[in-house]
Amino acid sequence: MKYISIIFIFILFTGITYPQSLSISGKVTDSRLNPLPNVNIIISETGRGAATNVEGNFIIENLLPGEYDLEFSFIGYESQTIKVVLKDKSEKINVVLKELPVETEQVIISASKYEQRISELPVSAEVIGAEIISQKNFNNLEDALRYVPGINMTDDQISIRGSSGYSRGAGSRVLLAIDGLPFYTGDTGETIWEVIPVHVLERVEIIKGAASSLYGSTAIGGVVNLITSKIPEDQIIYLKSYIGAYDKPSYDEWDWSGEYRIFNGQTLTYANTFSDIGITASFSRLEDLGYRQNNFSKRYIGFLKSDIKFSQSSSLTLLANLFTKKSGNFVYWRNSRNALVPPEGDLGQVVNADRHMTGAIFNQVLSDNHLLKLKASYYYTAWDDGAVPLNKSTTDLFRGEIQLNSVLSNSLILVSGVEASGAEVNSTLFGNPGSVSFGAYASADYKFNFPLIASLGIRYDYNKLDTLNGSNAFSPKLGMNYKFSDKLIFRTSVGTGFRAPTPAEAFTSTTASGITVKPNPKLKSETNLTIEGALNYKPINFLTLDLAAFNNEYYDFIEAGVDPSDGMIMFDNLVRARIQGFEFQTQFDLKEINTSLNLSYTYLWARDIEKKRALKYRPRHTFYSSLNYTLSNFSAGADFRYWSRVEEIDEELINLGLVPDGNLRVEVFVLDLRAGCKFNFGNIPLNIFLNANNVLNYNYVELIGNLAPIRNYSLSIELGI
Amino acid sequence: MPLCAFSVLLCVTILLSGCDKGIAPKSGEAGFSGIITFIGQWPDSVTRTHLVIFKDPLNSSADFSLQNLRYVSNEIPFGTTTYNFSSKDSSVIPGTGLFEPGEYAYVAVAQQTTENVSLIRADWFVVGVYYKNNDTTKPGTLVIPENTFVENINIICDFNNPPPQPPGGK
Repeated sequence: MKYISIIFIFILFTGITYPQSLSISGKVTDSRLNPLPNVNIIISETGRGAATNVEGNFIIENLLPGEYDLEFSFIGYESQTIKVVLKDKSEKINVVLKELPVETEQVIISASKYEQRISELPVSAEVIGAEIISQKNFNNLEDALRYVPGINMTDDQISIRGSSGYSRGAGSRVLLAIDGLPFYTGDTGETIWEVIPVHVLERVEIIKGAASSLYGSTAIGGVVNLITSKIPEDQIIYLKSYIGAYDKPSYDEWDWSGEYRIFNGQTLTYANTFSDIGITASFSRLEDLGYRQNNFSKRYIGFLKSDIKFSQSSSLTLLANLFTKKSGNFVYWRNSRNALVPPEGDLGQVVNADRHMTGAIFNQVLSDNHLLKLKASYYYTAWDDGAVPLNKSTTDLFRGEIQLNSVLSNSLILVSGVEASGAEVNSTLFGNPGSVSFGAYASADYKFNFPLIASLGIRYDYNKLDTLNGSNAFSPKLGMNYKFSDKLIFRTSVGTGFRAPTPAEAFTSTTASGITVKPNPKLKSETNLTIEGALNYKPINFLTLDLAAFNNEYYDFIEAGVDPSDGMIMFDNLVRARIQGFEFQTQFDLKEINTSLNLSYTYLWARDIEKKRALKYRPRHTFYSSLNYTLSNFSAGADFRYWSRVEEIDEELINLGLVPDGNLRVEVFVLDLRAGCKFNFGNIPLNIFLNANNVLNYNYVELIGNLAPIRNYSLSIELGI
Repeated sequence: MPLCAFSVLLCVTILLSGCDKGIAPKSGEAGFSGIITFIGQWPDSVTRTHLVIFKDPLNSSADFSLQNLRYVSNEIPFGTTTYNFSSKDSSVIPGTGLFEPGEYAYVAVAQQTTENVSLIRADWFVVGVYYKNNDTTKPGTLVIPENTFVENINIICDFNNPPPQPPGGK
């Protein structure tokens, strides 16, 4: 009896105490593996729960063995229920919550240099989120831009609504900025997409149409502003690795290597906040053997961002982006039978490039209604192309800006500022020109009582490029956003833009393959007048329609052409151009079946109205679509792009025999597929994505004599510690 | 509905593009083409001008021989400023119009002042040489791969600045 009592007491004791020691703990992060604090966790069966701490950790203790449904919820994120079975030990789980971009209305900063809801803008804008960059394993931002409605990429040159053709990097009609700091080269004025460490971006904001009234030269066709991720309060170590391969070409005679060409990359990012100083430091190594001969590349990107908080009212953000590259030089194919092989003379040519950008943004809250921003940046670029004779260029570009954001009343916000820049070029191609520029701007947004927001702005710019005559420009704009109802919003804008010539356009002097390019000391700035009218309609919860019509008149459009007096090529103010069109977008967001579908169509009528012919490299019809399916931690998607065959190309280069079979071009059909899964590897959140691009292995060119990437596959893995 | 729409779209895409792989290689034979540009005044004494291609380098006057000669274009008209040529055009050598793939060490424009055609090295004067990659320190080698038509074999003939003459000239 004594023993029975002891056993009974023992059983009773263990029966009570052992289950009480069970717990469920873990960590909650967002899809970028950043910890999420204050996430609610409720056990459906008991109503008991907990919340995550600042590190995203939680623990629910004193649980009995059994099955529990844990519901995780947080504002702005998709709720998730996870079943946990407790047997004889405690469980640890990690949860990734997916952002709800539709329910938390997108805010962007690029349209007026302060944060605004995208639905309140007078102009068309697009946003690429970090999530999609991860899912599609984009390692070069230009690949992500190829899927944005209204954007066409011709090789590495961006065109927003037909703003640009192709000029081999000389000049850009779209301004790239990183956290508001302009990011284009001082010699060619081009945007180098490959220098951007895409994994540190929170989002990419795209403004369509002339934005010179706020940003000056280069923004004549639009703005792409990169917003870097906020530095987390707690330490994060982010690792990413990917590997992929190009499939065999469609035709045996194109199979120049006899092997699957590999591409791979690794990224390590460390982020933490120490007291009042936050740091994000990142290093990436990206290697691509290339599907074309002599088209390999090795890139190294270093990125540093630091936020220093001096007080509640003042802070400093420091940015540094370091880039070095070695790549083969593939200019045009040898001919269509050797479409993945360059001319024999180009074999072995190697391009070396170093591009380093540093910048600082000082924020000072002057009062409740006034914020002062001081911005400064320095961009050093150096490259050589390995040709005989050697072409090389070194440029130092300095910029400074003072910006004042003033909330003058509940209805009126004024953004004003002054900006100056200077550049020195030392180049075998462009000579040694120097340039200076100055700009001053003011832009006011007024919210009327009836739901109308009016935006009025003007900017003055002065540019002096070496021996060229100095040029002045006033760029005004007027925009309106009228919220007719919760479902229907109208927006319209009219403004002018301008673009000063770059050193490359004014001073290039070179001879290659029998072609001589000569300088044009009389080159002038080009200007445009842009008008847009649009509506956004949401007839039902899951459907959004957006229709925009636009007209751009370009004057003194700078293009390369042949001087009939001597047969030499030079950049000149050749074209009076008109670019008209419309853009139609639909977004289906069917949460019940975890599916979203975006469709967009752009019609472009881009004409040289003097010569009455189409502008080069502008497809008349483009259609993009994206289907996304997400179920718990699994996601899958398909993206499709269509371009109609471009009407006009560089016929001169073909006639001169420089690009054999260069007139071969077709309409474009590209289908990409992807799938991904998020789970935990031990205690570490892990994301895995599989991508198959150009799965139809369709052969097309964006630029003559340059076959676009053939079918390729990649596997990418991200983990956060 | 979006899934259906996308499925339809996908089918249409595959139908439109599935049978078509887009750009395809142009079928063709080996050969070459280019442009000869003449700068300056043609000497009045010139009686004939041809593009000539030799298989091996002209290291001595003996290399200027029919055995080494692989191509002689039709006569280039006197006073021409630019002349487009192609191996597809009829030529003196080879008579068939077909050109063998391979490497050719010396490609030049040569002129003669004799009344009758002569194959003596001393009777010819070279006014232009094909250079590769703008390297004017040595004659460029013309490479014709199998099944490849090489374009852009451009030659500049500057009468005021003639190129170095191969051995055996006057």
